[in-house]
Amino acid sequence: MDEQKIIERAKQGDKAALSQLVNTYSERIFNLALRILRRKEDAEDILQETFLTVIEKLHTFDGRSSFFTWIYRIATNASLMRLRKKKLVFQDLAEDDDYNDSVESRVFIDWTQDPAVNLYDQEVKMKIEEAVNKLSDIYRSVFVLRDIEGLSIKETSAILNITEENVKIRLRRARQFLRDYLSEYFEERVIHKNET
Amino acid sequence: MKHNHSRERIKKMCAMLGEDFDSPACQSMQEQINACPNCKVYYDTIKKTVLLCQENDCAEKLPKEVHNRLLHILDLDQFISNK
Repeated sequence: MDEQKIIERAKQGDKAALSQLVNTYSERIFNLALRILRRKEDAEDILQETFLTVIEKLHTFDGRSSFFTWIYRIATNASLMRLRKKKLVFQDLAEDDDYNDSVESRVFIDWTQDPAVNLYDQEVKMKIEEAVNKLSDIYRSVFVLRDIEGLSIKETSAILNITEENVKIRLRRARQFLRDYLSEYFEERVIHKNET
Repeated sequence: MKHNHSRERIKKMCAMLGEDFDSPACQSMQEQINACPNCKVYYDTIKKTVLLCQENDCAEKLPKEVHNRLLHILDLDQFISNK
């Protein structure tokens, strides 16, 4: 049965149809929330909250966007709300002009070929986690949807309800921040290695 | 003059860092990036950063008990499988 028919049946209160939607989307929603919130307990809460909202609002789904976009928007918004409530301290990102100036005046060290930069090293994994955790909600959501989930600029823009240009700006700034955060650590390792 | 040229190149390179790495915009900049060793290191480390984050992704299979708890909360107990 195609998805549109399943959705129509679910709208009529057909539980089998609803369970089909749960089976199709629950793992993706759980992982999306896990990628944004980085904690399984939070991801489970968001999963439940998302499907409760789906049941409550399914009658308003008019098919103008795909069901995937619609449910992802619900789950992303719920995840971001929770992230904001945590009142974590995120890293401020430099203004673009200041950042470009700083890029121009810096000399970069190439750590990409360093064999020590691999995920078998727990310290490296920890640093990556640390870096992603420093990203504030608006940058983290774009980074997760685009670079981790592999969604297109158009899909990301529809889910987050922001312009495609904004998606690109936020992704660029997220990538630059993550690069700088990790580079500080990796460059030091390269320098230390060259000295010994 | 040289300063402006370099600044312009960096500005252009940074502007397309929000695109897919294999997008036409990035591909068209590749020659200019390769011609500037410092830009190349910067660009390569951005790409490597994204790759590391992708490889470190925390996605996992949905635990069965999480799925079952979800069905219970949604009043869909008859679809809970004990297998």
